[in-house]
Amino acid sequence: MAEPSYPAGPHDYSSGKAELEQLEAAMDETPRGAIVVSLIAVGLLMIGWLGLYFLVFIPRGSVG
Amino acid sequence: MALSEEAVLKSELRWAAIVAVIVGIILIAILYAAIAMHVNPPSNAEYIDPKTLHLSAEFTESNLGTRVDPDGQVVARVIATQFEFVPNCFVLPADRDVTIRLTSPDVIHGILVTGTNVNTMIMPGWVSQVHTVFHKTGDLLMPCHEFCGLGHSQMMATVRVVPPQDFHPGPDGRVSCDNRG
Repeated sequence: MAEPSYPAGPHDYSSGKAELEQLEAAMDETPRGAIVVSLIAVGLLMIGWLGLYFLVFIPRGSVG
Repeated sequence: MALSEEAVLKSELRWAAIVAVIVGIILIAILYAAIAMHVNPPSNAEYIDPKTLHLSAEFTESNLGTRVDPDGQVVARVIATQFEFVPNCFVLPADRDVTIRLTSPDVIHGILVTGTNVNTMIMPGWVSQVHTVFHKTGDLLMPCHEFCGLGHSQMMATVRVVPPQDFHPGPDGRVSCDNRG
């Protein structure tokens, strides 16, 4: 049975300039997506926190 | 490459700014609650001997429950013990400053009053004190929220919040769930 072939590593750019450009494009896009996902997650957390604060905590009145 | 050191630094600074804004918003909200709304953690450092509560001037059985002090302050005194509150029901007026004072002769207990921010621990040897104003009337559940033993889940009391016009202290300034009318 023939051995499967693996790339030499993440920095194996020997396959050509076109693939290198694809890699650069992916490296350009991926952080942007991660930032959008992070902003949505943090935004939802803040909305949840502020919602509980103004709709539950404050209406429950003073205490001390 | 897209992820140059400069780009990473810029991204980190951007996130630091976002986090600073979030922390700032939360800090302002907490200060607003503390200063404008008078919402603070109950913090009363007052020692009482847990072995002689029944002999103390304040927490003898006859002095428990709600009482209007001569200065007009409404104070409810409650003992939390395994596994009940004494008294099991106490009356407080709505829309008026009230004080709840609690202590324990045995183990650590805790209370919260449902639908309000009243929430404190009750430690043997210390008097827990909460000042608040109730705005909604009705019977509010006050369960023990600190696991105190096998009967913990059965340990709860009722805070009966009545409209100010229905709050009638007796000649001795006392009000109980039985004689509030």
